[in-house]
Amino acid sequence: MNSTFAGIEMGKRSLVTHTTAMSTIGHNLGNAAKDGYSRQRVEMKAFDPIYMPGLNREETAGQLGQGVTADKIERIHDEILEGRIVKQANGEGYWKTRDKYVLMMEQVYNEPGDISVRAQMDQFWDSWQELSMYPEQTSARHSVLERGKSLINSIHRRYEGLSDIRDMLEQEVQGTVQRINSTLAEVSEINKQIVKIEAMGDNPNDLLDQRDRLVTGLSSLVDISVSGRDPDEFTIHSGGMHLLQGRVANYLSAEPNTQNEGYSDVVWRESGEEFLPRGGELAGYLELRDNDVREEIQGLDMMTINFTDMVNSIHRDAYGKNGQTNQDFFTEWPFVNNVSGNYDRSGDGEFDSTYLFRITGSNSLDPQQQIGLEGTISLSGPQGNVEIDYNSTDTVEELVSRINTSGAEVVARLDRNGRLNLKASPAAEVENPDFVIRHIEDSGQFLAGYSGVLTENGAAGAYDWEQSDAVIALRGEGVDYSVAPLSHPAGWTELNPSIANDPDSIAAGFGKNGDVADSGSGDAALAIAQLRNGDVMVGKYKGFSDYFSQAVTKVGLKGEAADRAYETEKEIMQELKGLKDSISGVNIDEELSQMIKFQHGYAAASRYISQVNQMLDTIINRMGV
Amino acid sequence: MERISSNMSINDMQYQLNKRNKSMYELNNQMATQSRVNNLRDDPLAAGHSTRYMSKITHLERYAKNAERITSEHRVAEGYMKSANSILHRVRELAVQGANDTYTKSDKQAMGQEINQLLNELIEIGNARNADGTSMFGGDKTSTSPYRVLSGTIPEAGGQVVTEVEYRGSIKPSVVEIGQGNYVKKHFSGNEVLWAEQQQIFSAVNAQNYVVDTDTSIRIDGEEIGLNAGDNIHNIIAKINDSNAQVKANLDPVNNSLALITTSPHQLYLQDGAEGSVLQDLGVITDTGKAPFNVAPDANSSGGSLFDMVIHLRDRLYAGDTIDIGGSALKGIDLAQDKLLSSMSELGAQDERMQVALRRIEHEVPELQEQNSKEVDLDFTKAITDLKELEQAHKAALGAAGRIIQPTLLDFLR
Repeated sequence: MNSTFAGIEMGKRSLVTHTTAMSTIGHNLGNAAKDGYSRQRVEMKAFDPIYMPGLNREETAGQLGQGVTADKIERIHDEILEGRIVKQANGEGYWKTRDKYVLMMEQVYNEPGDISVRAQMDQFWDSWQELSMYPEQTSARHSVLERGKSLINSIHRRYEGLSDIRDMLEQEVQGTVQRINSTLAEVSEINKQIVKIEAMGDNPNDLLDQRDRLVTGLSSLVDISVSGRDPDEFTIHSGGMHLLQGRVANYLSAEPNTQNEGYSDVVWRESGEEFLPRGGELAGYLELRDNDVREEIQGLDMMTINFTDMVNSIHRDAYGKNGQTNQDFFTEWPFVNNVSGNYDRSGDGEFDSTYLFRITGSNSLDPQQQIGLEGTISLSGPQGNVEIDYNSTDTVEELVSRINTSGAEVVARLDRNGRLNLKASPAAEVENPDFVIRHIEDSGQFLAGYSGVLTENGAAGAYDWEQSDAVIALRGEGVDYSVAPLSHPAGWTELNPSIANDPDSIAAGFGKNGDVADSGSGDAALAIAQLRNGDVMVGKYKGFSDYFSQAVTKVGLKGEAADRAYETEKEIMQELKGLKDSISGVNIDEELSQMIKFQHGYAAASRYISQVNQMLDTIINRMGV
Repeated sequence: MERISSNMSINDMQYQLNKRNKSMYELNNQMATQSRVNNLRDDPLAAGHSTRYMSKITHLERYAKNAERITSEHRVAEGYMKSANSILHRVRELAVQGANDTYTKSDKQAMGQEINQLLNELIEIGNARNADGTSMFGGDKTSTSPYRVLSGTIPEAGGQVVTEVEYRGSIKPSVVEIGQGNYVKKHFSGNEVLWAEQQQIFSAVNAQNYVVDTDTSIRIDGEEIGLNAGDNIHNIIAKINDSNAQVKANLDPVNNSLALITTSPHQLYLQDGAEGSVLQDLGVITDTGKAPFNVAPDANSSGGSLFDMVIHLRDRLYAGDTIDIGGSALKGIDLAQDKLLSSMSELGAQDERMQVALRRIEHEVPELQEQNSKEVDLDFTKAITDLKELEQAHKAALGAAGRIIQPTLLDFLR
């Protein structure tokens, strides 16, 4: 037998349930425009009917339903799709940063245009051509001076532009590490609350939405994998270690690295071990900072040091209008103020390395002549030494070309006197210094007696940088060498101030046999002009034209790739978000129709209660008396 | 997709609008700058090519400028050489006249006076200066006069006359670039252009047993010829003949000494290499004085410049020496004229080379500009039609969006 007020109770349950449903509709409508909101639904369940099988069961027709109740409130959400979105955010973040910063790198070039470094170098070349026509004139020298200043300015501007980009990337790295850490802190807070709520048996829908949003944001910063396998613990992994385990977060930090010019490494705060992201914005920033922009700066430095070194070599041999000679045209700041290039790399107070950029042999060679010797040359390369064989029928020109295409970090050329120049190019590995020759060895006599670089052949006569006074290995008189430049020549190269103060010191002619050059002699000016178009070996490039053209194309291709990849990632993300919206997004029409449904349900329940009320009224107030 | 949420249409519309806006923005940029390549990423390969083209055009324009300037300088020099030639013509006439015995001694002296005046004019030509004050016939010693004049008295002349004209310019040819690796001479050296006879130097020192003691070198007309220890006179002669110097060496049978003869008329410049003394030891030069005034006094040297020839003729006329006038003096003038004419034809040949180079550059520059344009310039027609297309699509999309967004169930519920 049912209780008297069971009807009202049932009606009340229905009212409450329908009110809950309406509230949820209201919540959905309110949050319809919010990004990342998953619509929620009330799962209605029939209340437990009576009577359950047992000894105290009433003997009456059963089971009698007891109304409706709200079972749970769930969000409509596809976990697997969410996982895909998280992964996609990673790719999008990475390419977004590349797209933005590679564009900045492209713009530093000012190409194709007439204010680029290349255009200024052409103007500078033009002024030397003018001087070779009119070597007697001071006005032609003024032109050389001014154009030289413009060229230097443009090199400085490009260097500063790239350097600024590198500094910006450093700030981004630091900022991103902070954002990662604060996101982790937020997620760990949310996890705490989620665990508590779930323990109560409730669904923390809005918190779950918030967590999803934070995790997607985190994924665009760094490559993560999310594991919800253990329902009690929400873990995020990255780089094989836990970033977040339930409430415990493993924070990252950015530590400055002196080997990398003070730019920061990303490390785990607890263990101090290096953290190497493989995707996301952080990986993008680190890669741009330490690979792409660093390479650009290296390329600019390499062009600058080669250019100034070659101009200076010629200029020193030539005479100015005032009879001055042995003047550098560009200032040279050596890495060490030591004539033999000795340097203390380990910092223990003793010289332990020799830093030389260029070594010139004493003998004048004929490029077309067959060497008539055989052996193997070993030169320092990106990882270890590179071997180059030669035999007696090779010509000098062929061997020079073979050295330059071997992949070694030393390149060769014959200068205008036919002497062999060996020059260091930038180092691929961060630990090796740029523009320092590390190893030269020859098992045969080419580098020893033939070209006059080393004193003897074989390992005993090899030049190796990791000792002080390595110049002893070089053949005594006639050999010429230059000490490696101070870091980043593109930043500090200037015109020699004594030339700037007295333009008549600008040398135009070589003297003959030790005599001062005549006033009408312009052959040194011509030799300097010929550097622009000659095969002078600018690092791995054959000449300046090759360097300018290929540098521009390389950066352009990177930009093109970044642009296309970013567009693609955005398209894919758009599709995925569309799918998610289709499943979890609020459709206002749908909600409104649901609302009508619950409105009627509510009205019906109210009517039922009124009816039961009336019936009870009959029993209570009208029966008997 | 089965279900469409309310936000989806709007999100999609925003996304597509954004994409289209980006395309329109880029097109507008391209049209404003007239260039297809505003960022390197727009066409990396074209940008790379363009840098080469632009530099090449700058270089060619400079080469053309150089060639034009040298051409006009050469015209001036040619003018001077022509007038020197017409003076020599007059001198020759006088020589032919003077060789005729029908003229008296005083007639001949009068002719000598006229030749003296013509000589002074020739010296003026030799010391001629360009518009910017640099001397024309001094090699690259352009700030001083190439010819130094020594005067003295000759009894028959009755006063100071020029007795010697010394060349003090340099012999080094300066060159200017008119094309990649293409050079033209800029200056003229008087010791070639205004020269007459082959120069011959016969040493007086017996060289039969001479042996070079250390590795050294000698320089002939600026050409360095290396000699090794142990070379005897025959090796030296062979090396001299094998070198690029325009001189022939042989062993003079009379003195067993070194003899040097030029193969084309010019003044020899002889120097010993650094710390060497081979030519001195062989009696060709001394260590006092600089080349070309360092010929050893006891060596037999002959050969003279254009001025020497004219001076010789004038002196013969003053002396009234008919035989010499019609003989060696006249021959000397002929040689001087020959050399001058050959220099002028060399000049003409150089000018032709420059004209060829200029014509080629005139063709090449527009071609390069066209190639550059193909790489980086905008096809305006295509750009405008693309932009119009985008604008239409934009309007259509906005119109459609306006229709989708408006009504919801709310508008229809009571």
